[in-house]
Amino acid sequence: MTAAAPARAPGWIRRNRDLVATPVIVVVGLAVVLVYTANRQLDSVEQRALDPSYLWAKFGEHIWLTVASTVVVIIFALSLGIALSRPAAARIRTGTLAFGGFMQALPAYGVIILLAFLLGFGTTTAIIALVLASFLPVLTNTVVGLLQVDPALIEAARGMGMSAKQTLLRVEIPLAVPVMVAGIRVALVLNVGTATLATFIGAGGLGEPISSMLYLGRGQAVLVASAIVAALALVIDWLAGVAERLVSGRLG
Amino acid sequence: MSDAGQSPMIALEGVSKTYPKQSKPAVAELNLQVPEGAIVTLIGPSGCGKTTILKMMNRLIEPTTGRILLAGEDVTDVNADQLRRRIGYVIQQVGLFPHLTIADNIAVVPKMLGWDKRRVASRVDELLHLVGMEPDDFRDRYPRQLSGGQQQRVGVARGLAADPPVMLMDEPFGAIDPITRERLQDEFLEVQRQVAKTICFVTHDLTEAVKLGDRIAVFAARGRLAQYDTPSEVLAHPADAFVAEFVGSGAAVRRLSLLQISQLELAQIVISGAGAAPKDQPVLSVDGAGRPSAWHHVPGSERPPALVTVPLSGTVYDAVDVMLDGRAPVVVVVDDDGRPRGALRWDALVADLRPNGQLR
Repeated sequence: MTAAAPARAPGWIRRNRDLVATPVIVVVGLAVVLVYTANRQLDSVEQRALDPSYLWAKFGEHIWLTVASTVVVIIFALSLGIALSRPAAARIRTGTLAFGGFMQALPAYGVIILLAFLLGFGTTTAIIALVLASFLPVLTNTVVGLLQVDPALIEAARGMGMSAKQTLLRVEIPLAVPVMVAGIRVALVLNVGTATLATFIGAGGLGEPISSMLYLGRGQAVLVASAIVAALALVIDWLAGVAERLVSGRLG
Repeated sequence: MSDAGQSPMIALEGVSKTYPKQSKPAVAELNLQVPEGAIVTLIGPSGCGKTTILKMMNRLIEPTTGRILLAGEDVTDVNADQLRRRIGYVIQQVGLFPHLTIADNIAVVPKMLGWDKRRVASRVDELLHLVGMEPDDFRDRYPRQLSGGQQQRVGVARGLAADPPVMLMDEPFGAIDPITRERLQDEFLEVQRQVAKTICFVTHDLTEAVKLGDRIAVFAARGRLAQYDTPSEVLAHPADAFVAEFVGSGAAVRRLSLLQISQLELAQIVISGAGAAPKDQPVLSVDGAGRPSAWHHVPGSERPPALVTVPLSGTVYDAVDVMLDGRAPVVVVVDDDGRPRGALRWDALVADLRPNGQLR
């Protein structure tokens, strides 16, 4: 198989040419905004808001909110999704997914503030709110991904003597992974965006420079902070897309 | 049953299955014994419970009552997963795992049984050879790169992987085109000659049941075993009106495929130029190698008919087929070297075919 590797590389690049678009847009977009800002006269308020070490700290908080909430979602939504896909759970499957849809319909802005009154202000509450907001895509995709596995494969696995657990781990989950990863990708992107609301309950993130500069009427600073959030969302979506392609390329 | 002395490999004793929320059983009080090394084909109309019966043998469906014995051991209550690793299982949809290579698909059960790597690898190659697929070409491919017929060959190889004494096959060739299906059936019989497994084979195709089965189990509704006998007995002596209707009007023709030409007494042929021939015997011209070239004279016909031949290894079905095809009242039976061994005459064939399918 080693001999085939060099010959395969160009084909791989050709097939994935479309993946180049996002990084180009991100780099060019950020460069335009930053160059434009660098050539403008900034007052002391704007300079403080656009101080690299301050932005870097907010960026770090934003990443932490996004990653922590997505990891929690993956742990709970995947487990619940796997449980719901078992035949024994067929009766409560529809009801649970409908409840998930109901939760999804609640506006994240409202949820995050109501939760702050219930649980107090801070990062933990913000993460819980993000988890609620992005739970459903992962849950739905896990259930759908597992249920779309050809029943003949499950019958073959059981007929050969795989236990229910072995069938789940060796057949059902590997075949559902592309759909599950697609759900996780949606959750990640949702969380990057929703994490900008964390600032309203004192949990920081890139929402903080946006909302404070908006309040102080500093449009230039708002533009920069917003561009960073947008770029971050695009990059995370792109990375998740690459991961999705890697798993489905191997399995599809 | 004629196998009274021999202990059966699979035995169902008073097995019933009633599905939840149904008042009538799908299978009621079934007794069935499958002798060791035999292929038993299970056949019957849709919904007769033949697949349910097959799946109760490896307890994919748990029987409501009754006992299942495997080689004399009561397996009704043993661990079902471990039981199934001892029984090969092949289904119509094949069910090859798309994310595993052909080799990994075949290796699933051996790996579960804890075989070491080298033994698994050599077993995979051995099985691919057995089903007529070159291991070097196919080992590392994925199922989607194979044709339907190739996939089912791998399915059979996977069922045989851990060398189980028993194979259960649920319409394995049902979704395959007729030409490939016939070839797979021939290959399957060839494989069975080498491995001599005890096989239960569900089919809805009577031709397939007759061709593959050492015995046929004909099921009526609710898993009632209407007849359990050799193919020729089922075709010649249906046990009741249901079997007679199921076997249908084609039974006489189907029986012809069970009659080997080599078992028949052939009519004498005189080779032309080999002395004076009696007027009532056909005379055949041969070429330099001794192979038939044309009829010189056939009694009862003004002009000699077209020359048609059938190999000695064929069946009466083949002989009738070439006679109808060539519009010839007589067919020359030739051996492996193409030399004439005798003749089969249409009128004699029709006159001497008895209802039990035997000649003379």
